[in-house]
Amino acid sequence: MTETQSSAVLSVKDLMVHYPTDEGVVKALDGVSLDIQPGQTLGVVGESGCGKSTIGRAILQILDKPGQIVGGEILWNDPEKGSGSSQVDLTVQEPNGPEMRAIRGGDIALVFQEPMTSFSPIHTIGNQMSEAITLHQDKTAAEAKEWSMELMNMVGIPNPPQRFDEYSYQLSGGLRQRAMIAMAISCDPKLLIADEPTTALDVTTQAQILDLLRGLQETNKMAIMLITHNLGVIAEMADDVVVMYLGRAVESGPVDDIFHQPKHPYSKGLLESIPSVQASGHERLPSIAGSIPHPFNRPSGCTFRPRCPSFMSGVCDMNVPQYLTLDGGQQKVSCFLHHSPSGVEEVSSHD
Amino acid sequence: MIDSIPEMDGTILEVRNLTKHFPIKRGLLKRTVGAVKAVDDVSFNLKQGETLGLVGESGCGKTTTSRCILRAIDPTSGEIMFRTADGQAVNVATLPNREMRPLRREMQMIFQDPFSSLNSRMSLLDIVGEPLLVHGMTDGDERQERVAELLRLVGLRPEYMQRYPHAFSGGERQRIGIARALALHPRLVVADEPVSALDVSVQAQVINLLMDLQDEFELTYLFVAHDISVVKQISDRVAVLYVGKIVELADTAELFTKPRHPYSEALLAAVPVADPRLHREDRKLLEGEVANPANPPSGCYFHPRCPYVQDVCRTETPVLSEVSPGHFASCHRVQDLELTGIAQVDRKST
Repeated sequence: MTETQSSAVLSVKDLMVHYPTDEGVVKALDGVSLDIQPGQTLGVVGESGCGKSTIGRAILQILDKPGQIVGGEILWNDPEKGSGSSQVDLTVQEPNGPEMRAIRGGDIALVFQEPMTSFSPIHTIGNQMSEAITLHQDKTAAEAKEWSMELMNMVGIPNPPQRFDEYSYQLSGGLRQRAMIAMAISCDPKLLIADEPTTALDVTTQAQILDLLRGLQETNKMAIMLITHNLGVIAEMADDVVVMYLGRAVESGPVDDIFHQPKHPYSKGLLESIPSVQASGHERLPSIAGSIPHPFNRPSGCTFRPRCPSFMSGVCDMNVPQYLTLDGGQQKVSCFLHHSPSGVEEVSSHD
Repeated sequence: MIDSIPEMDGTILEVRNLTKHFPIKRGLLKRTVGAVKAVDDVSFNLKQGETLGLVGESGCGKTTTSRCILRAIDPTSGEIMFRTADGQAVNVATLPNREMRPLRREMQMIFQDPFSSLNSRMSLLDIVGEPLLVHGMTDGDERQERVAELLRLVGLRPEYMQRYPHAFSGGERQRIGIARALALHPRLVVADEPVSALDVSVQAQVINLLMDLQDEFELTYLFVAHDISVVKQISDRVAVLYVGKIVELADTAELFTKPRHPYSEALLAAVPVADPRLHREDRKLLEGEVANPANPPSGCYFHPRCPYVQDVCRTETPVLSEVSPGHFASCHRVQDLELTGIAQVDRKST
């Protein structure tokens, strides 16, 4: 969505996150760009090691050590800072500074994948919820408690007064995830980052949680960045989609275009290779050859080239494809099938 | 106890009233205060060369069922009749360990997690060759040859047989696990969530491999998974489990298009479909969560979540009965409910 870029609540531009390790540098993110529109859901999809979780953590500056942002910007558009230029670059903020701490949990909230490990086992659910509320809002302990219980009601946790005093291990997986979501929305965030929010849950519970997120988005008008490997979840939830592969966005666009006219060979392969409940008969599945390369062993040029059915020798291995908007559309793709390599940076200059 | 199972229709396995209770022990004296009814009166059969999918949510007993069949754990009661290669029917449930051993080469298992199910200190040759050694192939050269053949079969290069599991990706490791399972020419293979730890693009490769191997060796699969679309892809018939009981069993296409149990309907409705044009706003979402197998509800275990519940469901346990040829469901209202399945579309037309 190039025309509406300025209205994006969050813009990530050429973000690079590296993990220097003893064996070498792992390029978790290698120049990712994406925009999140207010009140909309952006689905970020990819397989393991593509860097999708790293984006969420980089935005909130909670990267695991030794990860660090080595380039690019994360522009946070604070709608409440009046008109004009109200953009803050989150990459230059001190991770533990007051600005970042106000944004983290306040304006931007995060729902983790593992509801079991993301709660403290030695504090009650209510205690942890109230803490977040008193930290970000001007509320007394009693008011925070009241608000917590209201939130629990909102996310469908039965009997809030009882649950308020319970510990995370006393809740089932689905309830724990609901409590997690209640905590995340407690300060009325503008953006909710949900990192695989339903992966650890059963399908019937997953459907409930997705339904809850949709309902909350409608009432709170918050933007959601939904990170998942499950294309079905993306299809049901997202307005726009970014497909990632090995630390880069390879394709993005409105959800209908991505699922019905995918342009990048990886997006196509991914969509074809998922077994469908709708498919008639059980013929063989089309599959993507090979497997995801080791992070220390990134292919030169286009990183998808060794697995790509449309690999062009002398082009894809020699140049890094640019991430360009397709003519007349909102879809962006980084593939030489859709633009010529002339004038594009050479491999040598990139590494 | 040796009973005959119908030989005519090629049945290889018949499970009758299988039950597995895990005792709950409490207090200083470790008194048994109750039981988790992990598997509760499960019956089904498997024909030579077919794939039966077992689906259900966590705690429904799908893994316990498969482990009982392989006698990795001893069932509490019930019969597991297995037809051996020489046509004999034996009850695996009560067979002494000594007599169980020769049978083990006929029934093998593929595990879920390719990272923890392979010993990281053993080379591929040792891993895949171990079952051969245990079952009497003591000649090293012969074993090496067979391992090479097996690796080729699952799409790995035989030159890699001296390498260790850490050198392989998740998908490749799962292939190693499959090669190990096939080493002894098994007739029944139990695959417990064999692709759920794999990435989407690799998952398809492994499913294809399993289907190809089945064609080539006329393998019989008991395929356990929570992902309904994966089960749909590979299974001829599907059994849906809920809190230790089979609630529905039918041919795959029939179960998906015309489910007869409300739980199957709900399960199908809950699966996210990778098509943004498919609007399913009118679908029914289940309330609540899976019942606790240590303390299941009265009557039909599904009644607290069932949108079609009636009084009879709260008090009487329904029995699994044949509602149309080959289609079994256990629901009091099976005759008067019109349930919605998933419309089938031809993959190529979309």
